[in-house]
Amino acid sequence: MFVVKHFDFDIIVVGGGHAGVEAALAASRIGKTVALVTMDRARLALMSCNPAIGGLGKSHIVKEVDALGGLMGKAIDATGIQFRRLNLSRGPAVWSTRAQADRIAYNDFVCRFVNADKNISVIEDTAGAFLVENARAIGIETEEGEKIFSRAVIVCSGTFLGGLIHIGEKQIPAGRRGEKAAYKLSQSFRSLGFEVGRLKTGTPPRLDGRTIDFRRCEAQPGDEPVPFFSYTTIPYRLSQIPCHLTYTTDKTKEIILENLHRSPMFSGQIKSRGPRYCPSVEDKIFRFKDKPRHQIFLEPEGNGTDEIYPNGFSTSLPEDVQEKAIRTIIGLEEVQITKPGYAVEYDYCPSHQIKASLETKLVERLFLAGQINGTSGYEEAAGLGIMAGINAALAIDNEPPFILDRATAYIGVMIDDLITHSTTEPYRMFTSRAEYRLGLREDNARDRLFPYARKYNLIPPEDYSCFETLRNQTEATIKSLKRQSLPVSKLDGMARYFSKRETVTLAELLKIPGVSVADIRPYSNGIIDDNEFSAEVMERAAIKIKYDGYIQKQEREVERFRKMEDEVIPPSFSFENLTGLRNEAKEKFVRYRPNSLGQASRIEGVTTGDLAVLSIHIKKFRSSLRT
Amino acid sequence: MTRLRKLNSICPYFALPCHLQRHRISPHKRANQSIIRALIFPLTTAIIVPIRKESSIQLRNDDTIAAIITPPGDGGLGAIRIAGPESLKIVNRVFRPRDRRESALQPFHLYHGYIMDKNGAVIDEVTTVVMPEGRSYTGQLQAEIFCHGGQFVLRRILEEILRQNARPAEPGEFTRRAFLSGRIDLARAEAVADLVASKTTYAYNVARNNLLGRLSQEIDSVRNKIIDLLADIEAAVDYPEEALETAGNQTLETSLREIIGNLKNLIESYRSGRIIKEGFKIAITGRPNAGKSSLFNLLLNQNRAIVASIPGTTRDYLSEWIDLDGLAVQLTDTAGLRGKAGVIEKAGQASAQKIIEESDLVIWLVDITRKGWKKEIPADLKNLSNRIILLLYNKIDKAKRDVKASLKSIDFSVPSFPVSCLTGEGMTDFRRYLKTVTSAEFPDLTDRLVITSERHQVKLKNASRHFKKARLSLKKQLSPELTAFDLRQGLNEIDEITGRVYNEQVLDRIFSRFCIGK
Repeated sequence: MFVVKHFDFDIIVVGGGHAGVEAALAASRIGKTVALVTMDRARLALMSCNPAIGGLGKSHIVKEVDALGGLMGKAIDATGIQFRRLNLSRGPAVWSTRAQADRIAYNDFVCRFVNADKNISVIEDTAGAFLVENARAIGIETEEGEKIFSRAVIVCSGTFLGGLIHIGEKQIPAGRRGEKAAYKLSQSFRSLGFEVGRLKTGTPPRLDGRTIDFRRCEAQPGDEPVPFFSYTTIPYRLSQIPCHLTYTTDKTKEIILENLHRSPMFSGQIKSRGPRYCPSVEDKIFRFKDKPRHQIFLEPEGNGTDEIYPNGFSTSLPEDVQEKAIRTIIGLEEVQITKPGYAVEYDYCPSHQIKASLETKLVERLFLAGQINGTSGYEEAAGLGIMAGINAALAIDNEPPFILDRATAYIGVMIDDLITHSTTEPYRMFTSRAEYRLGLREDNARDRLFPYARKYNLIPPEDYSCFETLRNQTEATIKSLKRQSLPVSKLDGMARYFSKRETVTLAELLKIPGVSVADIRPYSNGIIDDNEFSAEVMERAAIKIKYDGYIQKQEREVERFRKMEDEVIPPSFSFENLTGLRNEAKEKFVRYRPNSLGQASRIEGVTTGDLAVLSIHIKKFRSSLRT
Repeated sequence: MTRLRKLNSICPYFALPCHLQRHRISPHKRANQSIIRALIFPLTTAIIVPIRKESSIQLRNDDTIAAIITPPGDGGLGAIRIAGPESLKIVNRVFRPRDRRESALQPFHLYHGYIMDKNGAVIDEVTTVVMPEGRSYTGQLQAEIFCHGGQFVLRRILEEILRQNARPAEPGEFTRRAFLSGRIDLARAEAVADLVASKTTYAYNVARNNLLGRLSQEIDSVRNKIIDLLADIEAAVDYPEEALETAGNQTLETSLREIIGNLKNLIESYRSGRIIKEGFKIAITGRPNAGKSSLFNLLLNQNRAIVASIPGTTRDYLSEWIDLDGLAVQLTDTAGLRGKAGVIEKAGQASAQKIIEESDLVIWLVDITRKGWKKEIPADLKNLSNRIILLLYNKIDKAKRDVKASLKSIDFSVPSFPVSCLTGEGMTDFRRYLKTVTSAEFPDLTDRLVITSERHQVKLKNASRHFKKARLSLKKQLSPELTAFDLRQGLNEIDEITGRVYNEQVLDRIFSRFCIGK
């Protein structure tokens, strides 16, 4: 068989969105040469929808990407115009950072960063087909027929595969508004034997801020001190721009319900599923008729622009209805729409077709990341992109893949969800998806992922040693907080918690709900201000102390979980020949091909009885291997 | 997430139920255990922990098994069940329909014909029925053959079947297959074991209720309520910026209190459940020569003895079962407590103490012809810890008149009856009292759900503990992710009862209940 000897690049990344950029950068950090094939080199990591990064579950992913040396956290820190910490009234596991970006500056920052990377060549073109030999990807052919050879291919096609925009009755073939889509690649997927499905997502109209009466809306300022994302960011002074909160009215409801039949979602023009957690405004009003009003957040798109993104008003209604409806919102009575909202349908590959490494099961060294796996959101895309980049690089070197489990990272939760539940609606991260949530926090992303980042050379070595100091100081601080005690009589308000005691440790004080580091500072004898990274160390120490018992309990659960994950199903195990299994279960196993008993247990519709049967077969198979 | 998972207990194939491991196991218990072991398979994903490789439970379920399913002994009718992929083929080979035109056996039709041996000779005239996959007890292709009762005939037919491609079924294996094929959940599978083992009307009623899925329904309803609570909590956590109409702490706490109350009833029902299943345990004890054996024999003779053994019984002692108006009562004659004893007796006494502790009622026999018996009683009773005690003044036939007369005036604040185990004098009153005590333990069960498995009780207790913790954290206004953590842990425990896995249901519930979407 003819073997290609000449490769133009180590890796080709198809698509320059949030997934593609992280994939290219990660592969480059590992030392691979990368061709980043994109339709428009000036639109790398463009924010197609809302101009914001982070939010619940999502910010956790950003911090994880950051701890793996990724770009997203750095980019938003450099170009954010407002930063907030959500859920501060709740526990640290569900604290979450969210930032508004200057859309243009963000895109610009990423472009410069990628252009400066010597291992990455940005090629302006459209992929039309995969080059595959012996079920292994060896490159792509552009729509024009030019061939580029590589050792691995990563596809991050976003909404561009077979993209079709809907605005009312109008249908426009496009990936984003005004940008052409890619039509040939889906065919290439199909001819390789992939199942290709269709999903839908939507975006609201953009508004001219000069025509909005902000005085009638509620201002939402950013937080001080600014909660940045990246561990590499040196805090700087930022004059933050506020968002505004407003509401729909009875009139909005009336207009939308009257025109429901003109929405492609309701007329049947769009058949694919959209995300339930980010429904269009018509969907919200239709499904929750009793709700008198819905929130609309007015988010600025950046410095030096008056454009406003009305979060909560995603719609595919015809333009005239959009205009009529949006003008019923408080403060928006005179508003001018600059760009209409729309729904977009696109092709994706249902995610049972990838392995935990994001490599496809059908074609070796073909990796999929981002919306093509059925996810939604910049952060999810970035998380998948960075993993695909690392794993493509490892595959080229014949190294075992880098897989994060559910107890280590939100990225691990996401990928595991994808490979055990083929999504039929766009997948978004939530903290409630992570069963070991208490251990997967923003503050400990580095504790969880730096060892891997170091192993794969994703971060400068000095970052790791610097972190080690931080970690040691945290441990030392926890020890002294647990040791240092003081007489209860010295306490003021907190004394009531320890009425029967004479002395109490600082750690015990910290455990009281609502008590913060600042509250115990007066009693601390300087421990708190005594070290190099005092603020961060103290926060980390306080979190660990507050969660103490819970984290221990959870660790026991994690141990059990890992035991199941360690029950590996040998790759040569044949699911097709399983006997004594319910048909439904067998079909599921054949479809998902789980690689451990634990993974099998999470496949939807699989019962404990099925697992028992599977487990017997695995045992038998193993003992047959031995003999 | 269930997720999130318990493994300490259970799993036959992987490990033995912990509560079974703790005890020394009697042969009877062992028989029952093999059923439970076969049933209590990996309960949730959580608990599959491969431990024992050599376990006999590594039974495959893709071959064909057969067994006689009617009880041993001669009867009018006998039945044999065949389950597995080869069932139909086997029936076709051994069965000849009387009406030769019947070429293919239709499911759920009863056919009349003959079982033939390999030489073509008729073994017996039978009827047979074939059940298709998914619609049989085991969920597999299955056939049943009804022949004349009588062990010889049954065994001959079974032999013919086993000569084909079938193997003898292990105890409980049909039910195990029903569980593996998803026909019944774990709680119901366990109920089958109970049903088969039930010796009295009460035990039968309870097992039947559970088999009909009443326990599973109750568990599911608790589960649903918890998922609802979680949906409220999680929605608020994951959507801090949305003005969601989630229930406040007060409402959550109220519903949690209700749930805990429901669980409490279930947990407490185990006391009745255990008594129903294992019988009401009465220990007959007293000083040497107080007449314990006489009483034991007297009670035995006056009641119908239950011949078959009841699981969970110990046989170290002279112990028999009687059916007291539909209630299984286990009488145990202990070695004499107190008195000077050698090493052997001392060992006996230690376990006598244990018997007493496990009893539901202790009968303390006193020989009133003995000198100084009155003085000994307070100390003796004190030794019996906090059991329900009944004092029997024995040998009134031989006692002096003044002693007999004085019995009415003494009071040790426990019920007491003067009897003679030899003549039966005084037994009527005593027995009437016995019935009152025992039936108090057996309330009207027609609409009451009773759990009969220690495993279920342990799980329910654990769940309840987690829910109480969650409730406390609501009260103390702790951070909601901690409440959610405890709720999820409790949910896992609950799911282990029915053998179910926790999954994305919380999110589904969130989306259907709240208008969400920033």
